[in-house]
Amino acid sequence: MSAPAVSLVAMLYVLAVIAAVMMGRRVSLWRAGRPMQVDWLKGIQALPKRYLVDVHHVVGRDPFTARMHALTAGGLLAGSGLLLLAPLAGGFRLYWALIALLFAAMLAGGAMVRKRRTPKPARLSGGRFNMLPLLLIGYAAGCFLVALDAASGGWLWLLAWPGLWLAAAGGMGLVLQLDRGPMRHAFAGALHLVAHPRPGRFEGRRETALAPLDLEAPRLGVETPADFTWNRLLGFDACIQCGRCEVACPAFAAGQPLNPKKLIQDLAATIVPGGTNAAYAGSPYPHARAVAGVGGPQQAIIGREAMIHPDTLWSCTTCRACVEECPMMIEHVDAIISLRRHETLECGAVPEKAAPALAELRYADDAQGRPLVARTDFAAGVPLPLISARGEADILLWLGEGAYDMRHGRSLRALLKLLHLAKVDFAVLGPEEKDCGDLARRLGDEATFQRLAGDNIATLARYRFRRILTADPHALHTLRNEYPAFGGHYDVVHHAALLDELVAAGHLAPGALALADVTYHDPCYLGRYNGEVEAPRRLLDRLGLNRVEMERHGKRSMCCGGGGGAPLSDIEGETRIPDIRMGQAAATGAGIVAVACPQCTAMLEGVTGERPEVRDISELVLMAVEAAASPADNRAARQPEPVA
Amino acid sequence: MKVTVLLSAGLHPVSGRPCPAAVELQAIRLAHTLGTPELTGLHAGPAADAVRDALGQGLPRLLWLETAVEDDPLAGLVAALATDRPDLILAGRQAQGADDSGLLPYALAKALGLPIIADAVAIEPAGEGAVHVVQALPRGARRRVTVRLPAVVTVHPAAPTALPFAFAAARRGTVERRAGQAALRSGAAIDERPYRKRPKLIAKAAAGASAADRLKAATESAAGGGRLLVDPAPDEAAREIIAHLRELGVLRR
Repeated sequence: MSAPAVSLVAMLYVLAVIAAVMMGRRVSLWRAGRPMQVDWLKGIQALPKRYLVDVHHVVGRDPFTARMHALTAGGLLAGSGLLLLAPLAGGFRLYWALIALLFAAMLAGGAMVRKRRTPKPARLSGGRFNMLPLLLIGYAAGCFLVALDAASGGWLWLLAWPGLWLAAAGGMGLVLQLDRGPMRHAFAGALHLVAHPRPGRFEGRRETALAPLDLEAPRLGVETPADFTWNRLLGFDACIQCGRCEVACPAFAAGQPLNPKKLIQDLAATIVPGGTNAAYAGSPYPHARAVAGVGGPQQAIIGREAMIHPDTLWSCTTCRACVEECPMMIEHVDAIISLRRHETLECGAVPEKAAPALAELRYADDAQGRPLVARTDFAAGVPLPLISARGEADILLWLGEGAYDMRHGRSLRALLKLLHLAKVDFAVLGPEEKDCGDLARRLGDEATFQRLAGDNIATLARYRFRRILTADPHALHTLRNEYPAFGGHYDVVHHAALLDELVAAGHLAPGALALADVTYHDPCYLGRYNGEVEAPRRLLDRLGLNRVEMERHGKRSMCCGGGGGAPLSDIEGETRIPDIRMGQAAATGAGIVAVACPQCTAMLEGVTGERPEVRDISELVLMAVEAAASPADNRAARQPEPVA
Repeated sequence: MKVTVLLSAGLHPVSGRPCPAAVELQAIRLAHTLGTPELTGLHAGPAADAVRDALGQGLPRLLWLETAVEDDPLAGLVAALATDRPDLILAGRQAQGADDSGLLPYALAKALGLPIIADAVAIEPAGEGAVHVVQALPRGARRRVTVRLPAVVTVHPAAPTALPFAFAAARRGTVERRAGQAALRSGAAIDERPYRKRPKLIAKAAAGASAADRLKAATESAAGGGRLLVDPAPDEAAREIIAHLRELGVLRR
């Protein structure tokens, strides 16, 4: 081995020791969190697949970044790892040639890191991140030169010595970034994949249900970082501040004081004793409310005197767009709900307009205190069988709180007519149906949610039915994914999926509709939470409609602003989320926005001015079925009349 | 300062399930505006389910005098308050879902020999042994009075909304259960009739006037009409009141 090569390997061992110390410091901080059992063996075995398949699936949505990361991380890890084997293989020139090749790849990756940051897009962070391309390029170039020299048999020694210094400087810089700089994501991210709090995500399972809270626990929800389990703290450290969440966040887009990236950075800053948010150099919370910006493992996270303002917490619509976009698999929404639970259950610090809604849910089982018998009023004139009169039905129709709403009542009436036409055997719970508890749970009122869930499960246990049908994706998600934790296991189907089935089976015969172009708005709780993006589109295509897609659609769709209790929290911003979404719909040139959720209907119908018409999928199917029955009406105007 | 809030067994107006009466929860919030009083809730009745939730809305402890269903709560409350001697007794202006007569605070004040101030929307400390009470009057008018403690104050629904419910606080709060007093209700004289909405009185002056005038008269007269006399002599005031009542047809002679 040549002298520079020996020095490089020796230096690398020193750097490895320093790196271990830096990482150890961070690991000791996570130990402040609550204990959580992790299947280490399974996690470590699954790591390569989780990294190469699941992470790459997200990173690969931006091909340039994916190539950049593959070259940089691959070159860095493989090159440095091989270098550490030099005491065994240092005598082979082919070994050094391979190392040179790997660092050449890393050099190319480093150049791409630099290119991506010039000019710096708003979503990327500055500060410590500004040094990153230089450090990567320095380390890669230095190692490359030394390895090239060793591979050539010492012919390039003139380049090797400066190379060694370059590698030392770059390497030292990178190692010092392991604690609080960008390089933290490398080891925290790998560990996060191993010890992920929702391992089912990597096994193709729908891991979107919130975890039940033990209401007997001495402290409810999360007040301080130490109340998070240790692997949640680890998750916050995995953030690389790529800002994909910030781009996807509807609250951020509307100028409300929420930025998922900053939220995670704030949480990561509170893990450190005496931590502050001063080092953060990315986009702030829009119209950020003043906070002290300090924290520690045993200090409160939420409050004007702490790290995060309550308005930030209550801006979230729980749409999960940030989670969907996060390449580090961080669970933002879980963190937000944990914090909300403490605010609501321990402090009673809910947004002003949410308090009466939660009180009505507590005492009257409906968020607006409406009589439960009035839920079926919308159906006046259309037969609506009660399951209590029969004891069983093939399909139990869960009406949800949308049934009280005049506008959504029209969608439900269309659905009822279609069910009657298709001769579906169905019934409703009528006054026995209580609120499913979605709103209470998203607002952090786990106590009310668990009571409502228990009551509903007890009611459902008294009747026999094969499936539950609902037109409300929020109820669908709650019944399908969150009730099982309380002993209620149901086969729940969304009305778009059922109508699609009925049309496919020939029970409904829609004619072709000669309407304006349609664009379908995916409800978050159907698309992202439940992965159902195809059935509604298939159904629309069966109606002979010309379907156009918004740029953000499917699992990457944008929220209407109606979820997570956000309409009740009503945090002030610059614009309204539904206005932004309707703008995106109008930009497609479509005349109709097809929706499949009462919240989306209400939010999008609330948009003023000239805009596409909002139609629930059931209304469009009914139009098509009626058009087939009486072809004379087929000459109707291409643009439907406004409803609301 | 010792403050006791009287809590009634309320029923939710829609669901009919037990729930705390909203205006009594507002009373708890008003008590909190007096600095950090020694605050107790007092309930007399056969069950405390409905009242217990008030512990989650700013009430640290509850004293429950257990009585039979047919017992009149008044005697037990008077006895408990006479021993406990709070500086301020707060009550809602009317129960919710019980007898709802709104008479209990007056009967209580009479039995304890205390002054009563009705319809408070704000209470502020006024030095030693007194408080300022802002009363809600019709048409949004407010009157500020100073009352020497101890006193009974009833709270108006226009007072600030109740503190939000905190589940953990309700869990932490303590309920002290004591035997109440058996006392039969003196309810023989109460005559029950179905509720009948009273017709609105529309000022005659507006008849034949413009639509805007009629609207104004129709919306204004509902709240009383009449004349405003500032600091009149008692004789003159009495004559005015009688004249007004005759005009309305309430007094026929």
